[in-house]
Amino acid sequence: MKKKINLAFLLVLVLHFSCASLNYWKVKVELPEVASLNLDQFKELVVSNFLVEKETKDFNLNQELVDFFSEELVQHFKGKIRRQEISWGEKDIFQKEDFWKTLLPGSEETLILTGSVNYSEEIRKAILEDYSRESEEYFPSEKGLAQRKFYTLNLSLYLIEAKTGEILYTREFKESRGYKNPKQTANFAFFDLMEKVRAKFFSNILGEERVEQRYLISD
Amino acid sequence: MIDNDKAVNKKVFSLVFLFSLLGCFFLSCSHSLHDEQLQFGIQAAQKDLWDEAIFRWKKAIRFHPNSAAAHNNLAVAYEKKGLLEEAKKEYETALRLSPENTRIKSNYQSFKEYYSSDKKEDEKEN
Repeated sequence: MKKKINLAFLLVLVLHFSCASLNYWKVKVELPEVASLNLDQFKELVVSNFLVEKETKDFNLNQELVDFFSEELVQHFKGKIRRQEISWGEKDIFQKEDFWKTLLPGSEETLILTGSVNYSEEIRKAILEDYSRESEEYFPSEKGLAQRKFYTLNLSLYLIEAKTGEILYTREFKESRGYKNPKQTANFAFFDLMEKVRAKFFSNILGEERVEQRYLISD
Repeated sequence: MIDNDKAVNKKVFSLVFLFSLLGCFFLSCSHSLHDEQLQFGIQAAQKDLWDEAIFRWKKAIRFHPNSAAAHNNLAVAYEKKGLLEEAKKEYETALRLSPENTRIKSNYQSFKEYYSSDKKEDEKEN
């Protein structure tokens, strides 16, 4: 009798655990995002130079940023796009409405894209065991001392209405990426990082859909 | 007297056994209905039929209100439809029901990251 009870108990346990195993499916979902502002209400977009906190060696950060945004915005903005040089006085100038109001007098339907940037590189070292970690893509499974060259881009973007000096959109982007190649150039890494910024920025201001991954599960 | 007690015990045992069996049957039945709806919803979602998926997962929750999977899947569907408050509520319910589930945790983390910038901007405006 006792044997039978034990057997039944074992059977219940096996059934329980076989039912409790979790299955999942990865799905790509296009998630809608609400546009932060209506670009169509502006006829002109002025891309200013950026407030560069620290110059990068052998790389014209400001020029690359201005070129990048000017070229990208052409594809999304129907109006005129031009560049404007600004002489930066102080760091918190973005909040000073009077400064922006007087920058482009008589501009009724003009939007200014501006911001501040800091671009840095560093070498990171780590002693690794032989194991794999799914989430750590920069230091994959290997043994011994690993070295990666990391580039970090801190970019604050502002979209300011020229007529009122009001900030219509602002967001801080902090993007980072590590490379195995110790000779990786700042120029190459910059475009990798700007790709991430581009996706987020245009998704924000245009309200474009973004593809994200989610798990559907069954228990 | 002893024989009479034995007979009563046997009857009681039989009744308990019968009710347990019936209980198991109804429980397994509601679980299988729940599983069926859950799977149906997943298949619909994979074919991009999210309204159908929502309908199925809501039904799955009716059969089994404590199904973390159904609440999680419903949250994903609400996200897809742009119903953020509803999605948040469903993710939180799913996490409450299954706090150690890494898939639900991952979904909720991604959800929070994706929408955090918009929320911060809204808070600043208010």
